Amino acid sequence: MIWIILVAIVILLLIIATVVYYYNKIIRLENRIDNAWAQIDVQLKRRADLIPNLIETVKGYMEHEKSVLENVTKARASLMNAKTPQENMEANNQLTSALKTLFAVAENYPTLKANENFLQLQDELTHTEDKISYARQHYNDSVLAFNNAIETFPGRTFARRMGKKEKPMLEIPEESREVPKVSF
Amino acid sequence: MPLMVEEHIRKNKRDTLLVCIFMLSLLFAIIFAFGFAIGFPPIIAMSIGLPISIIYILASYSFSVQSVIAAAKARPANPRIRKEKIFMYKVEEMAIAAGLPVPKAYVQDSSDINAFATGKKPEEAIICVTTGALEKLNTEELEGVMGHEMSHILNRDILIATVTVGVVGAIALISEILLRSFLWGGGRQRGKSGGLIIIAIVFAIFAPIFSRLAYLFISRRREYLADANGAYLTRNPEGLARALEKIKADLPDDPKGSPTVAPLYIANPFKRALKDSIWATHPPIDERIRRLREM
Repeated sequence: MIWIILVAIVILLLIIATVVYYYNKIIRLENRIDNAWAQIDVQLKRRADLIPNLIETVKGYMEHEKSVLENVTKARASLMNAKTPQENMEANNQLTSALKTLFAVAENYPTLKANENFLQLQDELTHTEDKISYARQHYNDSVLAFNNAIETFPGRTFARRMGKKEKPMLEIPEESREVPKVSF
Repeated sequence: MPLMVEEHIRKNKRDTLLVCIFMLSLLFAIIFAFGFAIGFPPIIAMSIGLPISIIYILASYSFSVQSVIAAAKARPANPRIRKEKIFMYKVEEMAIAAGLPVPKAYVQDSSDINAFATGKKPEEAIICVTTGALEKLNTEELEGVMGHEMSHILNRDILIATVTVGVVGAIALISEILLRSFLWGGGRQRGKSGGLIIIAIVFAIFAPIFSRLAYLFISRRREYLADANGAYLTRNPEGLARALEKIKADLPDDPKGSPTVAPLYIANPFKRALKDSIWATHPPIDERIRRLREM
């Protein structure tokens, strides 16, 4: 009799341990996704904050390139208004291509290219863009780990009980994956 | 699959403990053998030897990071120099890709291309590159190297590497001091049993070699994994492969720092160790490049 009770207790403890382990694992992985999103958000804000400075620096030199500057300002505005992660990413891509045009046009202005302030902003914006794409990559890695955990057995059973569903990854458009070159 | 590192991290923590215990007993054995050989009774030899070795191991554990930085003569990166600023940027980017806190960026003045990561945990990690690497590698290659170093941090390789480097150094130092003092004062010893003295000397000679071998064995296996995970972080194995090619072509002519720190670097800064042998701290560079290109 005493053996049966002991065995029952051991089994019960094992079950509790498993439940706790998977519960914690799923929660931890889900938190990692939220944290990864927060990282992206910080970088997006940082990028949006740098734009007014850039416009201010460039304005004096590029008087004949109003439309280029307007595109950048517009893209920034839509980034500020974006709500969902995917909207944010789309606005960010818009901004990336607007900036690409701006930096390409800047090649025609040797005095601007010699401007210390402009160079620093360019470096910093490129760096922020790289950080955004790495943050997005980390976000997708985290989503993948989470999805794997809740789709495979036995995590699957727990995830259902906890009402957890697969999360979507952030789409990465082809062109923005290529790392912008900073030449030494 | 890369980045499935939880298992590896656990193993690394266990290995670190094992290495510490192994080194502790080694150190204790040296001190004990010497105490005994020069005429202390076993109890006294033990009561002197044990606390000294424990304190020494603890001290080299807590100061391991500082001693590595000091041995490499590294300084914090200067954001006013553009190349060092870009290096700091790359460190930050790789930290974001790995989802880790941003390590401190250090620079070592040397014309060689090299880099290492150190620290006892990711929150206080340090990544150091040589000025030669900043000079000779392009952004993509530098990023590859940063990815490799960040993986060492992610895998907790830095803990075991840093601690072992500290402890191996301590053992080498203590053995040498004991050996010298012993040989120097040896003539005046009363005729204690000669066999014991010889054993003690043999011990002092072999302990540093043992401690080094134990570490080398652990160190080499980690490099392939760090290469693979680094490539996963940058999503660009070619960057690291090209950096390794440059490192290979640019054989160090003037290695800096102490050989004890060598295992920490991305490639061994000492020429002879580039060969494939049990003394190598790293797997052969060609094999590493080949594996990266196959990804």
